[in-house]
Amino acid sequence: MYAYAQSESLLPVDEQGKFIYYEVVPLEGTTKNALKDRVINYLKKQHKEIQFKSLQGDTAFIATGKMVINKTLLVMSHPSGEILYRFQAEVKEGKYRFWLSDFSFIPYQRDRYGNFVASTTIGASLERDPGKLNAAQWKEYQMQAAKYAKEFASKFKQFMVSKISIAESVPEKKVISKSW
Amino acid sequence: MKIKALLFIATLGCTTTALAQEASSPLQISGSVDTYYKYDFAKSANINTYFANEQNSISLGMIDLALKKTTGKASFVGELSFGPRGQSQSIPNAAGLYDEATNSFNIQNLYVSYAFTDKFSMTAGYMGTFIGYEVISPAANFNYSTSYLFGSGPFQNAGIKASYAFSDKVSLMAGLFNDWNVYQDFNGVSHVGAQLTVSPVTGWTAYLNVLSGRSAGAAGTGTILDLTTAYQITEQFKLGLNAADYTVSNDNGGYSGVALYPQYAFTKAVALGLRGEYFNYKGVGTAADVSVASLTLSANIKSGGLTFIPEVRFDSDKDFSQGFTKTNGINPAKSASQFSLAAVYAF
Repeated sequence: MYAYAQSESLLPVDEQGKFIYYEVVPLEGTTKNALKDRVINYLKKQHKEIQFKSLQGDTAFIATGKMVINKTLLVMSHPSGEILYRFQAEVKEGKYRFWLSDFSFIPYQRDRYGNFVASTTIGASLERDPGKLNAAQWKEYQMQAAKYAKEFASKFKQFMVSKISIAESVPEKKVISKSW
Repeated sequence: MKIKALLFIATLGCTTTALAQEASSPLQISGSVDTYYKYDFAKSANINTYFANEQNSISLGMIDLALKKTTGKASFVGELSFGPRGQSQSIPNAAGLYDEATNSFNIQNLYVSYAFTDKFSMTAGYMGTFIGYEVISPAANFNYSTSYLFGSGPFQNAGIKASYAFSDKVSLMAGLFNDWNVYQDFNGVSHVGAQLTVSPVTGWTAYLNVLSGRSAGAAGTGTILDLTTAYQITEQFKLGLNAADYTVSNDNGGYSGVALYPQYAFTKAVALGLRGEYFNYKGVGTAADVSVASLTLSANIKSGGLTFIPEVRFDSDKDFSQGFTKTNGINPAKSASQFSLAAVYAF
Protein backbone atom coordinates (compact mmCIF):
# COMPACT_ATOMS: atom_id res chain seq x y z
CA MET A 1 0.00 0.00 0.00
CA TYR A 2 2.85 2.35 0.96
CA ALA A 3 4.78 1.45 -2.17
CA TYR A 4 1.69 2.13 -4.26
CA ALA A 5 1.19 5.51 -2.65
CA GLN A 6 4.82 6.36 -3.26
CA SER A 7 4.84 5.35 -6.92
CA GLU A 8 1.67 7.38 -7.38
CA SER A 9 3.53 10.46 -6.21
CA LEU A 10 6.35 10.04 -8.74
CA LEU A 11 6.24 11.38 -12.28
CA PRO A 12 5.44 8.98 -15.13
CA VAL A 13 8.24 8.09 -17.55
CA ASP A 14 8.39 8.48 -21.34
CA GLU A 15 9.55 5.95 -23.96
CA GLN A 16 13.19 6.62 -23.03
CA GLY A 17 12.53 5.96 -19.36
CA LYS A 18 12.85 9.67 -18.48
CA PHE A 19 10.55 11.41 -16.04
CA ILE A 20 8.00 13.61 -17.77
CA TYR A 21 4.96 15.70 -16.93
CA TYR A 22 2.88 15.94 -20.09
CA GLU A 23 -0.51 17.49 -20.67
CA VAL A 24 -2.69 18.50 -23.63
CA VAL A 25 -5.16 21.23 -22.78
CA PRO A 26 -8.08 22.05 -25.10
CA LEU A 27 -9.22 25.67 -25.12
CA GLU A 28 -11.97 25.82 -27.70
CA GLY A 29 -12.45 29.09 -29.49
CA THR A 30 -9.03 30.45 -28.65
CA THR A 31 -6.78 31.34 -31.52
CA LYS A 32 -3.25 30.09 -31.94
CA ASN A 33 -1.92 33.64 -31.76
CA ALA A 34 -3.74 34.38 -28.51
CA LEU A 35 -2.31 31.22 -26.93
CA LYS A 36 1.13 32.12 -28.21
CA ASP A 37 0.93 35.55 -26.57
CA ARG A 38 -0.12 33.99 -23.29
CA VAL A 39 2.83 31.59 -23.27
CA ILE A 40 5.18 34.51 -23.98
CA ASN A 41 3.58 36.55 -21.22
CA TYR A 42 3.84 33.67 -18.79
CA LEU A 43 7.55 33.20 -19.51
CA LYS A 44 8.11 36.94 -19.06
CA LYS A 45 6.19 37.02 -15.81
CA GLN A 46 7.95 33.97 -14.36
CA HIS A 47 11.44 34.88 -15.61
CA LYS A 48 13.03 34.35 -12.20
CA GLU A 49 11.82 30.75 -12.12
CA ILE A 50 11.97 29.82 -15.78
CA GLN A 51 14.11 31.23 -18.61
CA PHE A 52 13.11 31.24 -22.26
CA LYS A 53 15.75 29.59 -24.44
CA SER A 54 14.46 29.22 -27.97
CA LEU A 55 11.51 29.18 -30.30
CA GLN A 56 10.96 26.30 -32.74
CA GLY A 57 8.93 27.37 -35.72
CA ASP A 58 6.68 30.05 -34.33
CA THR A 59 4.52 27.96 -32.03
CA ALA A 60 6.88 25.84 -29.90
CA PHE A 61 8.62 27.40 -26.92
CA ILE A 62 11.57 25.93 -25.07
CA ALA A 63 12.66 27.15 -21.67
CA THR A 64 14.68 25.92 -18.73
CA GLY A 65 13.76 26.28 -15.11
CA LYS A 66 14.82 25.32 -11.65
CA MET A 67 13.12 24.52 -8.39
CA VAL A 68 14.86 24.79 -5.06
CA ILE A 69 14.47 21.81 -2.76
CA ASN A 70 14.19 22.65 0.91
CA LYS A 71 15.20 20.35 3.71
CA THR A 72 12.61 20.79 6.41
CA LEU A 73 12.62 19.09 9.78
CA LEU A 74 10.43 20.60 12.49
CA VAL A 75 11.84 24.10 12.98
CA MET A 76 14.82 23.57 10.69
CA SER A 77 14.73 24.50 7.06
CA HIS A 78 17.32 25.31 4.46
CA PRO A 79 17.79 24.69 0.74
CA SER A 80 19.43 21.33 0.09
CA GLY A 81 19.61 21.48 -3.69
CA GLU A 82 17.93 22.43 -6.91
CA ILE A 83 16.25 20.46 -9.65
CA LEU A 84 16.76 21.77 -13.17
CA TYR A 85 14.24 20.94 -15.90
CA ARG A 86 13.27 21.69 -19.45
CA PHE A 87 9.89 23.19 -20.23
CA GLN A 88 8.35 22.96 -23.66
CA ALA A 89 5.01 24.35 -24.81
CA GLU A 90 3.34 24.13 -28.21
CA VAL A 91 0.20 25.94 -29.32
CA LYS A 92 -2.39 25.19 -32.02
CA GLU A 93 -5.83 26.52 -32.84
CA GLY A 94 -8.02 25.83 -29.82
CA LYS A 95 -5.49 23.83 -27.82
CA TYR A 96 -2.00 23.70 -26.44
CA ARG A 97 0.28 21.13 -24.90
CA PHE A 98 3.21 21.40 -22.57
CA TRP A 99 5.66 19.17 -20.82
CA LEU A 100 8.40 19.26 -18.22
CA SER A 101 11.31 16.87 -18.75
CA ASP A 102 15.09 16.38 -18.43
CA PHE A 103 15.05 16.68 -14.66
CA SER A 104 18.47 16.81 -13.03
CA PHE A 105 19.55 17.42 -9.45
CA ILE A 106 22.32 19.70 -8.20
CA PRO A 107 23.12 19.46 -4.49
CA TYR A 108 23.71 22.63 -2.49
CA GLN A 109 26.62 23.19 -0.20
CA ARG A 110 27.03 25.88 2.41
CA ASP A 111 29.67 28.36 1.34
CA ARG A 112 32.13 30.32 3.47
CA TYR A 113 29.56 33.03 4.13
CA GLY A 114 26.88 30.68 5.44
CA ASN A 115 24.81 30.75 2.23
CA PHE A 116 23.64 27.66 0.37
CA VAL A 117 24.97 27.53 -3.18
CA ALA A 118 25.18 24.92 -5.95
CA SER A 119 28.12 22.58 -5.32
CA THR A 120 28.46 21.70 -9.00
CA THR A 121 27.16 22.97 -12.31
CA ILE A 122 26.41 19.64 -13.92
CA GLY A 123 23.26 18.06 -12.59
CA ALA A 124 22.74 14.34 -12.07
CA SER A 125 19.81 12.93 -14.00
CA LEU A 126 16.90 12.39 -11.62
CA GLU A 127 16.20 8.93 -13.08
CA ARG A 128 19.66 7.73 -12.12
CA ASP A 129 20.09 5.00 -9.52
CA PRO A 130 21.82 6.82 -6.65
CA GLY A 131 23.07 3.64 -4.96
CA LYS A 132 22.06 2.29 -1.58
CA LEU A 133 23.68 5.05 0.49
CA ASN A 134 21.53 7.85 -0.85
CA ALA A 135 18.44 5.98 -2.07
CA ALA A 136 15.96 7.44 0.44
CA GLN A 137 17.12 10.99 -0.12
CA TRP A 138 17.01 10.55 -3.91
CA LYS A 139 13.47 9.21 -3.74
CA GLU A 140 12.53 12.33 -1.81
CA TYR A 141 13.96 14.51 -4.61
CA GLN A 142 11.97 12.54 -7.20
CA MET A 143 8.80 13.03 -5.19
CA GLN A 144 9.44 16.74 -4.74
CA ALA A 145 9.99 17.07 -8.50
CA ALA A 146 6.61 15.43 -9.12
CA LYS A 147 4.90 17.71 -6.62
CA TYR A 148 6.51 20.76 -8.13
CA ALA A 149 5.60 19.71 -11.69
CA LYS A 150 1.94 19.35 -10.70
CA GLU A 151 1.93 22.75 -9.01
CA PHE A 152 3.71 24.31 -11.97
CA ALA A 153 1.17 22.80 -14.36
CA SER A 154 -1.72 24.04 -12.30
CA LYS A 155 -0.27 27.56 -12.18
CA PHE A 156 0.47 27.56 -15.91
CA LYS A 157 -2.98 26.32 -16.88
CA GLN A 158 -4.61 28.86 -14.59
CA PHE A 159 -2.63 31.62 -16.25
CA MET A 160 -3.61 30.44 -19.72
CA VAL A 161 -7.29 30.31 -18.72
CA SER A 162 -7.39 33.51 -16.71
CA LYS A 163 -6.09 35.44 -19.68
CA ILE A 164 -9.07 34.20 -21.68
CA SER A 165 -11.53 35.64 -19.23
CA ILE A 166 -9.66 38.93 -19.15
CA ALA A 167 -9.27 39.13 -22.90
CA GLU A 168 -12.69 37.92 -23.98
CA SER A 169 -15.11 39.00 -21.29
CA VAL A 170 -16.88 42.28 -21.78
CA PRO A 171 -16.08 44.70 -18.95
CA GLU A 172 -18.97 44.93 -16.56
CA LYS A 173 -20.58 48.36 -16.27
CA LYS A 174 -20.89 49.46 -12.70
CA VAL A 175 -24.18 51.21 -12.07
CA ILE A 176 -24.46 53.23 -8.91
CA SER A 177 -27.96 53.38 -7.64
CA LYS A 178 -29.00 56.08 -5.26
CA SER A 179 -32.13 54.27 -4.20
CA TRP A 180 -32.01 52.77 -0.79
CA MET B 1 -22.77 34.47 14.88
CA LYS B 2 -19.96 33.37 17.17
CA ILE B 3 -18.85 30.82 14.60
CA LYS B 4 -18.86 33.47 11.88
CA ALA B 5 -16.71 35.75 14.03
CA LEU B 6 -14.28 32.93 14.74
CA LEU B 7 -14.07 32.07 11.05
CA PHE B 8 -13.46 35.73 10.25
CA ILE B 9 -10.63 35.91 12.79
CA ALA B 10 -9.17 32.64 11.50
CA THR B 11 -9.29 33.95 7.92
CA LEU B 12 -7.67 37.18 9.00
CA GLY B 13 -4.95 35.19 10.76
CA CYS B 14 -4.27 33.13 7.64
CA THR B 15 -4.09 36.25 5.49
CA THR B 16 -1.65 37.91 7.85
CA THR B 17 0.52 34.80 7.87
CA ALA B 18 0.45 34.61 4.08
CA LEU B 19 1.48 38.26 3.76
CA ALA B 20 4.25 37.80 6.30
CA GLN B 21 5.51 34.75 4.41
CA GLU B 22 5.69 36.71 1.17
CA ALA B 23 7.95 39.30 2.76
CA SER B 24 10.26 37.01 4.68
CA SER B 25 11.81 33.61 4.15
CA PRO B 26 11.84 31.01 6.93
CA LEU B 27 14.75 31.10 9.35
CA GLN B 28 17.45 28.82 7.97
CA ILE B 29 19.29 26.69 10.48
CA SER B 30 22.25 24.69 9.30
CA GLY B 31 25.61 23.51 10.50
CA SER B 32 28.00 20.64 10.91
CA VAL B 33 29.67 18.42 13.47
CA ASP B 34 33.04 16.77 12.93
CA THR B 35 35.44 14.45 14.67
CA TYR B 36 38.65 12.72 13.56
CA TYR B 37 41.42 10.26 14.29
CA LYS B 38 44.96 10.88 13.07
CA TYR B 39 47.95 8.55 13.10
CA ASP B 40 51.36 9.87 12.11
CA PHE B 41 53.71 7.12 10.89
CA ALA B 42 56.59 8.62 12.90
CA LYS B 43 54.33 8.58 16.00
CA SER B 44 54.59 12.32 16.42
CA ALA B 45 52.12 15.15 15.71
CA ASN B 46 54.47 16.24 12.87
CA ILE B 47 52.21 17.64 10.12
CA ASN B 48 50.88 20.60 11.96
CA THR B 49 48.76 22.45 9.44
CA TYR B 50 45.49 23.71 10.78
CA PHE B 51 43.13 21.06 12.14
CA ALA B 52 43.57 17.26 12.19
CA ASN B 53 46.77 17.79 14.15
CA GLU B 54 46.41 15.68 17.29
CA GLN B 55 48.38 12.42 17.16
CA ASN B 56 46.82 9.02 17.88
CA SER B 57 43.70 10.47 19.41
CA ILE B 58 40.04 10.51 18.60
CA SER B 59 39.75 14.27 18.60
CA LEU B 60 37.18 16.95 18.15
CA GLY B 61 36.63 19.31 15.28
CA MET B 62 33.71 21.53 16.11
CA ILE B 63 30.00 21.95 16.18
CA ASP B 64 29.07 24.74 13.83
CA LEU B 65 25.66 26.41 13.94
CA ALA B 66 24.51 28.93 11.38
CA LEU B 67 21.34 31.01 11.23
CA LYS B 68 20.19 32.92 8.18
CA LYS B 69 17.10 35.00 7.69
CA THR B 70 15.96 37.07 4.73
CA THR B 71 13.22 39.64 4.99
CA GLY B 72 12.52 41.43 1.75
CA LYS B 73 15.89 42.71 0.54
CA ALA B 74 17.62 42.48 3.90
CA SER B 75 19.28 39.41 5.36
CA PHE B 76 21.59 38.39 8.14
CA VAL B 77 23.89 35.46 8.80
CA GLY B 78 25.10 34.50 12.26
CA GLU B 79 27.40 31.49 12.51
CA LEU B 80 28.88 30.23 15.76
CA SER B 81 31.29 27.38 16.32
CA PHE B 82 32.35 25.47 19.40
CA GLY B 83 35.28 23.09 19.65
CA PRO B 84 39.00 23.34 18.84
CA ARG B 85 38.56 23.71 15.07
CA GLY B 86 35.95 26.43 15.40
CA GLN B 87 37.29 28.09 18.52
CA SER B 88 40.89 28.70 19.49
CA GLN B 89 42.36 27.11 16.32
CA SER B 90 40.65 29.51 13.97
CA ILE B 91 38.76 32.16 15.93
CA PRO B 92 40.44 34.89 17.96
CA ASN B 93 39.17 35.94 21.37
CA ALA B 94 38.21 39.52 22.22
CA ALA B 95 41.88 40.43 22.64
CA GLY B 96 42.69 39.05 19.20
CA LEU B 97 44.52 36.01 20.58
CA TYR B 98 44.08 32.34 19.72
CA ASP B 99 43.92 31.20 23.31
CA GLU B 100 41.94 28.14 24.38
CA ALA B 101 41.65 29.37 27.97
CA THR B 102 40.08 32.71 27.18
CA ASN B 103 38.38 32.05 23.88
CA SER B 104 34.78 33.09 24.04
CA PHE B 105 33.59 34.74 20.85
CA ASN B 106 33.08 31.65 18.65
CA ILE B 107 32.01 33.73 15.65
CA GLN B 108 32.57 32.46 12.11
CA ASN B 109 30.18 34.84 10.39
CA LEU B 110 28.17 37.74 11.73
CA TYR B 111 26.94 40.12 9.07
CA VAL B 112 23.97 41.87 7.58
CA SER B 113 23.34 42.32 3.91
CA TYR B 114 21.03 44.43 1.78
CA ALA B 115 20.27 43.69 -1.87
CA PHE B 116 19.43 47.05 -3.41
CA THR B 117 18.69 45.34 -6.72
CA ASP B 118 19.13 41.86 -8.19
CA LYS B 119 22.63 42.95 -9.21
CA PHE B 120 23.84 45.20 -6.44
CA SER B 121 24.18 44.38 -2.75
CA MET B 122 26.11 45.61 0.27
CA THR B 123 27.29 43.59 3.24
CA ALA B 124 28.82 44.62 6.54
CA GLY B 125 30.11 42.65 9.50
CA TYR B 126 32.50 39.81 10.24
CA MET B 127 32.74 37.41 7.32
CA GLY B 128 34.61 34.29 6.26
CA THR B 129 37.50 35.44 4.10
CA PHE B 130 37.06 35.77 0.36
CA ILE B 131 40.70 34.69 -0.11
CA GLY B 132 41.66 31.10 -0.90
CA TYR B 133 40.21 27.73 -1.88
CA GLU B 134 39.76 26.02 1.47
CA VAL B 135 37.60 27.15 4.35
CA ILE B 136 37.28 26.51 8.08
CA SER B 137 34.09 24.43 7.83
CA PRO B 138 35.01 20.79 7.13
CA ALA B 139 31.68 20.34 5.35
CA ALA B 140 32.80 22.66 2.56
CA ASN B 141 36.29 21.16 2.05
CA PHE B 142 37.04 17.94 0.19
CA ASN B 143 40.20 17.13 2.16
CA TYR B 144 39.96 17.09 5.94
CA SER B 145 43.44 18.36 6.74
CA THR B 146 44.12 21.77 5.27
CA SER B 147 46.74 23.27 2.98
CA TYR B 148 49.66 25.52 3.92
CA LEU B 149 48.00 28.20 1.76
CA PHE B 150 44.87 28.00 3.89
CA GLY B 151 46.78 28.17 7.16
CA SER B 152 48.87 31.14 6.06
CA GLY B 153 46.11 33.29 4.58
CA PRO B 154 43.34 35.16 6.37
CA PHE B 155 40.47 33.24 7.98
CA GLN B 156 38.01 36.09 8.35
CA ASN B 157 37.70 39.66 7.16
CA ALA B 158 35.53 42.08 9.06
CA GLY B 159 34.51 44.96 6.86
CA ILE B 160 32.00 46.51 4.53
CA LYS B 161 31.78 45.42 0.93
CA ALA B 162 29.73 46.13 -2.17
CA SER B 163 29.04 43.53 -4.85
CA TYR B 164 27.83 44.15 -8.36
CA ALA B 165 26.95 41.52 -10.95
CA PHE B 166 27.63 42.86 -14.46
CA SER B 167 26.19 39.69 -15.96
CA ASP B 168 25.81 35.98 -15.17
CA LYS B 169 29.48 35.66 -16.04
CA VAL B 170 31.17 38.62 -14.41
CA SER B 171 30.81 40.23 -10.99
CA LEU B 172 32.93 42.46 -8.81
CA MET B 173 33.21 42.90 -5.07
CA ALA B 174 35.13 45.74 -3.47
CA GLY B 175 35.38 46.69 0.17
CA LEU B 176 37.14 48.16 3.15
CA PHE B 177 38.31 45.74 5.78
CA ASN B 178 39.87 45.47 9.22
CA ASP B 179 43.21 43.74 9.74
CA TRP B 180 42.99 39.99 9.12
CA ASN B 181 40.94 37.99 11.64
CA VAL B 182 40.08 40.74 14.11
CA TYR B 183 36.78 42.08 15.40
CA GLN B 184 38.18 45.54 16.01
CA ASP B 185 40.81 47.33 13.97
CA PHE B 186 43.14 49.24 16.31
CA ASN B 187 44.84 51.22 13.54
CA GLY B 188 41.65 52.18 11.75
CA VAL B 189 39.99 50.38 8.86
CA SER B 190 43.26 49.73 7.12
CA HIS B 191 42.75 47.24 4.31
CA VAL B 192 41.17 47.43 0.88
CA GLY B 193 40.12 44.33 -0.94
CA ALA B 194 38.44 43.25 -4.14
CA GLN B 195 37.26 40.09 -5.84
CA LEU B 196 36.61 39.73 -9.54
CA THR B 197 34.49 36.68 -10.30
CA VAL B 198 34.53 35.34 -13.84
CA SER B 199 32.62 32.35 -15.20
CA PRO B 200 33.84 32.01 -18.80
CA VAL B 201 32.05 28.73 -19.49
CA THR B 202 29.46 26.66 -17.69
CA GLY B 203 31.11 24.87 -14.81
CA TRP B 204 34.19 27.06 -14.62
CA THR B 205 34.43 29.86 -12.10
CA ALA B 206 37.54 31.87 -11.28
CA TYR B 207 38.00 34.35 -8.44
CA LEU B 208 40.79 36.91 -8.68
CA ASN B 209 41.34 38.33 -5.22
CA VAL B 210 43.41 41.12 -3.79
CA LEU B 211 43.72 42.35 -0.21
CA SER B 212 46.17 45.00 0.84
CA GLY B 213 46.82 47.06 3.96
CA ARG B 214 49.04 47.69 6.93
CA SER B 215 48.00 45.86 10.07
CA ALA B 216 48.44 47.34 13.53
CA GLY B 217 52.09 46.96 14.56
CA ALA B 218 53.12 45.41 11.23
CA ALA B 219 56.55 46.07 9.73
CA GLY B 220 55.14 46.87 6.32
CA THR B 221 52.11 46.85 4.07
CA GLY B 222 50.96 43.34 3.28
CA THR B 223 49.45 42.58 -0.11
CA ILE B 224 47.96 39.26 -1.05
CA LEU B 225 47.09 38.33 -4.63
CA ASP B 226 45.08 35.16 -4.91
CA LEU B 227 43.59 33.08 -7.70
CA THR B 228 40.99 30.52 -6.72
CA THR B 229 39.32 28.57 -9.46
CA ALA B 230 37.39 25.37 -10.01
CA TYR B 231 36.22 23.71 -13.21
CA GLN B 232 33.63 20.94 -13.25
CA ILE B 233 34.92 19.42 -16.46
CA THR B 234 32.57 16.45 -16.55
CA GLU B 235 29.88 15.22 -14.21
CA GLN B 236 32.54 13.10 -12.50
CA PHE B 237 35.70 15.16 -12.79
CA LYS B 238 36.43 18.49 -11.13
CA LEU B 239 39.70 20.37 -11.12
CA GLY B 240 40.48 23.11 -8.63
CA LEU B 241 43.44 25.45 -8.36
CA ASN B 242 44.63 27.92 -5.78
CA ALA B 243 47.64 30.14 -6.29
CA ALA B 244 48.62 33.01 -4.03
CA ASP B 245 51.40 35.46 -3.39
CA TYR B 246 51.69 37.47 -0.20
CA THR B 247 54.34 40.14 0.19
CA VAL B 248 55.02 42.43 3.12
CA SER B 249 56.71 45.61 1.94
CA ASN B 250 60.29 46.56 2.79
CA ASP B 251 61.45 42.96 2.43
CA ASN B 252 59.48 41.75 5.43
CA GLY B 253 58.66 38.33 4.11
CA GLY B 254 55.44 36.74 3.03
CA TYR B 255 54.70 33.54 1.13
CA SER B 256 53.72 32.15 -2.22
CA GLY B 257 52.23 28.84 -3.16
CA VAL B 258 50.12 26.81 -5.49
CA ALA B 259 47.77 23.89 -4.89
CA LEU B 260 46.00 21.70 -7.40
CA TYR B 261 42.82 19.77 -6.53
CA PRO B 262 41.75 17.05 -9.00
CA GLN B 263 38.64 15.20 -7.79
CA TYR B 264 36.78 12.28 -9.32
CA ALA B 265 33.30 11.13 -8.28
CA PHE B 266 32.81 7.41 -8.92
CA THR B 267 29.21 7.63 -7.78
CA LYS B 268 27.10 10.27 -6.05
CA ALA B 269 28.25 8.74 -2.76
CA VAL B 270 31.92 7.97 -3.38
CA ALA B 271 34.61 10.34 -4.62
CA LEU B 272 38.38 10.47 -4.55
CA GLY B 273 40.42 13.67 -4.49
CA LEU B 274 44.07 14.61 -4.53
CA ARG B 275 45.69 17.80 -3.32
CA GLY B 276 49.19 18.58 -4.49
CA GLU B 277 50.75 21.68 -3.00
CA TYR B 278 54.00 23.60 -3.21
CA PHE B 279 54.47 26.34 -0.64
CA ASN B 280 57.28 28.84 -0.17
CA TYR B 281 57.95 31.01 2.88
CA LYS B 282 59.70 34.22 1.83
CA GLY B 283 62.73 35.04 3.92
CA VAL B 284 62.72 38.27 5.90
CA GLY B 285 65.62 40.57 5.01
CA THR B 286 68.59 38.48 3.95
CA ALA B 287 67.15 35.20 5.22
CA ALA B 288 66.71 32.53 2.57
CA ASP B 289 63.31 31.29 1.44
CA VAL B 290 62.19 27.86 2.63
CA SER B 291 59.67 25.60 0.99
CA VAL B 292 57.47 22.58 1.64
CA ALA B 293 55.60 20.24 -0.68
CA SER B 294 52.60 18.18 0.23
CA LEU B 295 50.47 15.45 -1.32
CA THR B 296 47.12 14.50 0.19
CA LEU B 297 44.80 11.76 -1.04
CA SER B 298 41.28 11.78 0.39
CA ALA B 299 38.09 9.87 -0.20
CA ASN B 300 34.61 11.22 0.48
CA ILE B 301 32.05 8.54 1.29
CA LYS B 302 28.61 10.04 1.80
CA SER B 303 25.45 8.70 3.31
CA GLY B 304 22.77 11.30 3.81
CA GLY B 305 24.31 14.15 5.78
CA LEU B 306 27.31 12.10 6.90
CA THR B 307 30.65 12.10 5.08
CA PHE B 308 33.55 9.81 5.99
CA ILE B 309 36.93 11.15 4.93
CA PRO B 310 39.76 8.62 5.03
CA GLU B 311 42.96 10.44 4.11
CA VAL B 312 46.68 9.84 3.65
CA ARG B 313 49.14 12.72 3.50
CA PHE B 314 52.83 13.00 2.69
CA ASP B 315 54.75 16.22 3.34
CA SER B 316 58.28 16.97 2.25
CA ASP B 317 60.25 19.59 4.17
CA LYS B 318 63.75 19.74 2.71
CA ASP B 319 64.60 22.92 4.65
CA PHE B 320 63.51 21.56 8.05
CA SER B 321 61.15 24.50 8.56
CA GLN B 322 58.27 22.45 9.95
CA GLY B 323 60.09 20.67 12.77
CA PHE B 324 59.23 17.14 11.58
CA THR B 325 60.90 14.46 13.64
CA LYS B 326 61.71 10.79 13.20
CA THR B 327 60.14 8.01 15.26
CA ASN B 328 62.36 8.77 18.27
CA GLY B 329 60.80 12.24 18.44
CA ILE B 330 64.23 13.90 18.54
CA ASN B 331 66.06 13.56 15.23
CA PRO B 332 64.79 15.98 12.58
CA ALA B 333 63.15 14.51 9.50
CA LYS B 334 62.78 15.83 5.98
CA SER B 335 59.38 14.26 5.53
CA ALA B 336 56.28 13.24 7.40
CA SER B 337 53.31 11.06 6.59
CA GLN B 338 50.02 10.43 8.28
CA PHE B 339 46.69 8.67 8.00
CA SER B 340 43.47 10.20 9.27
CA LEU B 341 39.83 9.27 9.32
CA ALA B 342 37.26 11.99 9.83
CA ALA B 343 33.49 11.93 10.13
CA VAL B 344 31.66 15.10 9.20
CA TYR B 345 27.91 15.46 9.57
CA ALA B 346 26.31 18.45 7.83
CA PHE B 347 22.72 19.47 8.42
